[in-house]
Amino acid sequence: MFTFNVALKREDNIIHLTYKDIVMIKKEIIYRNPLVNLGYDNEDILPAGGFGAVLAHAGVGKTALLVQLALNMMLRGNSILHVSLNDAVGKVDLWYQEIFHDIAEKFGIVEVTEYWDRIQPYRFIMTFKVEGFSAPKLEERLNDLMEQNIFKPHTIIIDGFRFDDAERGQLMRLKELVNKYSMRMWFTVHTHRHEPPQENGLPLSFLHIADLFDAIVQLAAKGDEVYIKSLKGISIESKQNDLILDPATMLIKDSE
Amino acid sequence: MKIEDQKIRNIGISAHIDSGKTTLTERILYYTKRIHAIHDVKGKDGVGATMDSMELEKERGITIASAATYCEWKGHEVNIIDTPGHVDFTIEVERSLRVLDGAILVLCAVGGVQSQSITVDRQMKRYKVPCIAFINKCDRSGANPFRVISQLRAKLGHNAVAMQIPIGLENDVQGVVDLVGMKALYFEGGNGEIVREVEIPSHLLEEAKAKREELIDAASLFSDELTDAILNENEISTEMIYEALRKGTLKREITPVYMGSAYKNKGVQPMLDGVTYLLPCPSEIENEAIDMDKNEEKVVLSNDLEKPIVALVFKLEDGQYGQLTYIRVYQGTLEKGSTIVNVRTGKKVKVGRLVRMHADQMEDVEYLRAGYIGALFGIECSSGDTFTSPEVNLTMISMYVPKPVISLAIVPKDNKSQIAMAKALNRFAKEDPTFKTYVDNETGDTIIEGMGELHLDIYVERMRREYGAEVTTGNPRVAYRETITQRADFNYTHKKQTGGAGQFGRVAGYLEPISDAEFVFENKIFGGAIPTQYIAACEKGFKQSMTKGPKLEFPVTGVKVVINDGSSHSVDSSDMAFQAAARGAFKEAYLRAKPVIHEPIMKVVVETPTEFQGSVMGLLNQRRGMIIGSQDEDVMCVIEAQVPLAEMFGFSTILRSATQGKAQFTMEFALYRQVPQSIAEKIALEVAQNKKSAA
Repeated sequence: MFTFNVALKREDNIIHLTYKDIVMIKKEIIYRNPLVNLGYDNEDILPAGGFGAVLAHAGVGKTALLVQLALNMMLRGNSILHVSLNDAVGKVDLWYQEIFHDIAEKFGIVEVTEYWDRIQPYRFIMTFKVEGFSAPKLEERLNDLMEQNIFKPHTIIIDGFRFDDAERGQLMRLKELVNKYSMRMWFTVHTHRHEPPQENGLPLSFLHIADLFDAIVQLAAKGDEVYIKSLKGISIESKQNDLILDPATMLIKDSE
Repeated sequence: MKIEDQKIRNIGISAHIDSGKTTLTERILYYTKRIHAIHDVKGKDGVGATMDSMELEKERGITIASAATYCEWKGHEVNIIDTPGHVDFTIEVERSLRVLDGAILVLCAVGGVQSQSITVDRQMKRYKVPCIAFINKCDRSGANPFRVISQLRAKLGHNAVAMQIPIGLENDVQGVVDLVGMKALYFEGGNGEIVREVEIPSHLLEEAKAKREELIDAASLFSDELTDAILNENEISTEMIYEALRKGTLKREITPVYMGSAYKNKGVQPMLDGVTYLLPCPSEIENEAIDMDKNEEKVVLSNDLEKPIVALVFKLEDGQYGQLTYIRVYQGTLEKGSTIVNVRTGKKVKVGRLVRMHADQMEDVEYLRAGYIGALFGIECSSGDTFTSPEVNLTMISMYVPKPVISLAIVPKDNKSQIAMAKALNRFAKEDPTFKTYVDNETGDTIIEGMGELHLDIYVERMRREYGAEVTTGNPRVAYRETITQRADFNYTHKKQTGGAGQFGRVAGYLEPISDAEFVFENKIFGGAIPTQYIAACEKGFKQSMTKGPKLEFPVTGVKVVINDGSSHSVDSSDMAFQAAARGAFKEAYLRAKPVIHEPIMKVVVETPTEFQGSVMGLLNQRRGMIIGSQDEDVMCVIEAQVPLAEMFGFSTILRSATQGKAQFTMEFALYRQVPQSIAEKIALEVAQNKKSAA
């Protein structure tokens, strides 16, 4: 076995590991779920069967945020099913690779490709046309994967779901699905600029379904910065740190 | 030959297999009066489309070789490279794309954008080839050009805009409405050679107006003049629209889409107009070469006819009269009788006969000027070579050539076949840089290497048909590689003192893995522990060891060797002794550096009806495939996966039977990845068995 001394260095909200006097040890990425710093209790954030949402206007960084969440899961060995209703498989894959490279760069990882090869099997991308997507269809596809032991997700990300014309029933069916398989589901929610937020920060069109969600995070652009704020799901006593999304890399960092 | 540069078009026709591009080429040649009769691709009349000059291609209905041909259309000279459609021949496609200035992307009105179209499109992107699209087969049942346009947008990310709308589809296909000129075009005469231009039928007028608006909207992004005209509600001229579209097309920011049915002789001529209006002439494309005299500095070539010649060989063909060398001139004028130099070999050659080709027929010319494509006779060279005037030392940027991933042993049936086989192999290796051949020293077998099963199959077939060489083939073998995963030190002494001159050499240092090179040698010896004259011998010794790994005898890659100590003997040390010491040192350290086997992983894209999605994923999974994702598109679904090549043998048959023949797949090399332990053990066993049987 190798002996190694690990020195922890805290910078932004990322812990850097530096190894001293070691020979040929693979560096590890200890990439904590960046959202935990908002005040959530654990790294999964959602309980099994739970729903989470990331709210933002178009182009602010919903996908980038969820991809970071997904990468955290993958690095912890949890499987992610990324369902995109907008983009092609190649494009989604590129999101992951770009963001992973940026994260790995922060850790000074040399063998990025090898590392990526190791965590890539924890991800599966599915794309549907928006109009072709439904809970039964997703379940059918999931069954294809699970019955043959190809893939069983721990968390599902749904990117591009249309909440504007979503009925509560449709979401209820998705909820039943995640409950049935003890999974977690994150959504991106596209909010509109013309719609002023209510007192609790949620847009009016989201209110009637907000109770289905265990955690809600909002991205808001102020000037050149994008602030990340939790609107639901943190325990009252925990202090909420402000996080910001670095507009250059789309990576999350502490605002302090 | 007096045509000015603006009127030259060098175009390719790229497409999915079976989208009818050979038929389309045939029609183009017919309408440009290069040929005087039309034949079907699969040769009911035994003649076959003119561009498919090889017998085998005719039989399989596919195009393997990219024959270059030229024709004239409305005062423009159009050189056409017929590019192959199958993914196994991508080197051919890529080589063709290198010499093109623009392309027609042919799509099937029923099948739309298929996985192969995606590969071809990516290659076009890599070489920044501007393109227009032609949606063919509008006469087939289920044809829907607008669905294909939306697929072009969604799947390929093209800003595709319709230049036409169809008049009738499927059985009723009659013609097209030209949205720029706002005219209906019908194609009459025995073979659709007469284009009748009339008013748009009233039932299509509304749709035509709406689509024209979309077209102008899209075009206006590239022209202020057009935008002003729209805002001021001035009259919009056809020139204005074409000019704007041309700008966008050259930047690859818009893809004008034509439609029709080549087979039914509909819509080919307007598309040819599109080629002349919208695709670039040679001087509008920037081409770069590398200056070998100036530290491989990049040089932008100019289309100047007076400057030194720079020309690229992009294809070799064995014709009736000897080797035909297809060449594109990038700079200067290549004249009959002039002297040119092959930059790779440094050999000077005199240009004898110069011709321009029309598939199998040829026309003699006096010169080829910058921007032209033609062929030379009787010149010894390889595909990809650059020829220049003697005063310069430029080479066209080497084209990306992937390494072979699969090999096959071939044995000739008799002596006659043996001679023919040697001739054929020599030719193929010259024509196709991804095809390699060598003789295995241990088994004595002739080995051929290539990019996939089909790639090699086609060459074996060609050997038989074109050269009459009957060969039997062994099982295909995957090109595994070995590499090390950790640092290991060595300190090895090679010593022999058994009579005669002795041998002595000691080398010390370490091996370590590197990821971005195959082999790096670093000399860190200070103070002459090993005399300088023996360092090269050490490097040679290590390099020799890389060709056959001590673990399983696969080639070794990704090793850095550092030597930092050693010793020598004033009498007994020699080059030989240090080479042997280096080999010994490598062997000593290698096994301690935890060697692993790497295998080629292919990117496999399967297109299947959704009902078979589950079973296709199962098939891929059983083959150690890692599924990247699945894309649902109405009734079809595209599954993308990375699968080890070793598991892909015979996949086409299995896929066909699992999906009632409704799924298809493409495969290309993606990367090398470490083999899992259990498989590595199996491979080791196989290697041991092979060795035993060889012995």
